[in-house]
Amino acid sequence: MRVGVLGVGAVGARAVRQLATSTDPPTVVVADHDPSKVERIAAALAPTVVGVDDLGDVDVVVLATPAPHAPLAEAHLRAGRAVVSVSDDVADVDRLVQLGPLARERGTTLIAGAAFAPGLSGLLARYAAGRFDLVDEIHVAAHGTGGPACARQHHHALAGLALAWQDGMWTERQSGSGRELCWFPDPVGAHDCYRAELADPLLLVPAFPGIGRVSARLSATRRDRVTARLPMLRRPHPEGTLGAVRVEVRGLRASAREVEVLGAIDRPAVAAGAVAAVAVTHVLARDAPVGVFGMADARLDTEGLLAELAFRGVKAARYMGTQALA
Amino acid sequence: MKVLWRALFALFVAGVVAAAIRVRGRGGVPPQSGGWQELPLHDQN
Repeated sequence: MRVGVLGVGAVGARAVRQLATSTDPPTVVVADHDPSKVERIAAALAPTVVGVDDLGDVDVVVLATPAPHAPLAEAHLRAGRAVVSVSDDVADVDRLVQLGPLARERGTTLIAGAAFAPGLSGLLARYAAGRFDLVDEIHVAAHGTGGPACARQHHHALAGLALAWQDGMWTERQSGSGRELCWFPDPVGAHDCYRAELADPLLLVPAFPGIGRVSARLSATRRDRVTARLPMLRRPHPEGTLGAVRVEVRGLRASAREVEVLGAIDRPAVAAGAVAAVAVTHVLARDAPVGVFGMADARLDTEGLLAELAFRGVKAARYMGTQALA
Repeated sequence: MKVLWRALFALFVAGVVAAAIRVRGRGGVPPQSGGWQELPLHDQN
């Protein structure tokens, strides 16, 4: 089995490392516009990882370059290759979702948004949904950024229009509005989160047919909100610090309204790399269905994927309220 | 003309004050109790 990873930045490099250190690792070929990055990672993880100029014939392609991924994904799907994309750009994810008919026609798989949020957020939403008879609301919140591309996306997300699903229709509200205090797993703790242009709803709504409300928020400081509409005043950092994701699912359980809150903490690029790697192992094991979907898809082995992530150090937690102290 | 300049100046001052409040303001109070527990997943490795 051969896996191609395009882009070895903060997320791509972590995905390569996770794949190379798997039990029974596939051959991983890596390509990037910066040959020095490819040389470094190939030298560190040889012989499993090989640096190349062109991915060539591989079974699965991981797209870990900055967005857009849709044109690349389309080319690889046409060649019959499975694709795992870590894109979190709303327009790009929307175009990836529209590649569904092509993926089905070619009998292959495209996993969109296999990163931190979307990605891990979708897995947590699906896991939490398993505890309900009927799910009618999912609210995602994310904190922190990965590499420079992620920091740029965070900046952009606070200036655009936030997409949400409400009562069977899409709504667009101004990003940076709708402040809500969200409590992430410790030690990240509580942060003010705002509506933002995030891709989570685009992948959650098709995964939960009939759902009433889906929203996504991003933690931000007031400075982030004020400067969101300006060009970035400083170069983005090479990598952010500890991040977190929190998923609140509401619905009916035994005719009573209940709320489940799940979360996870990690450096976003590390967790995103791990999610991309477990998505690849799932595709290689022929466990992934044909078509285009996100990590919240009901046909995926959610618990198995979360267990594999926990084994790789990305551990999810459930908010227990005061029961946790008992 | 003088009235117009005064109105513009007042708007400018209001904008500066609003921006300062927005940047320097404090958030709400986080929950003071409760906690998180790791998900009980079946180890498949």
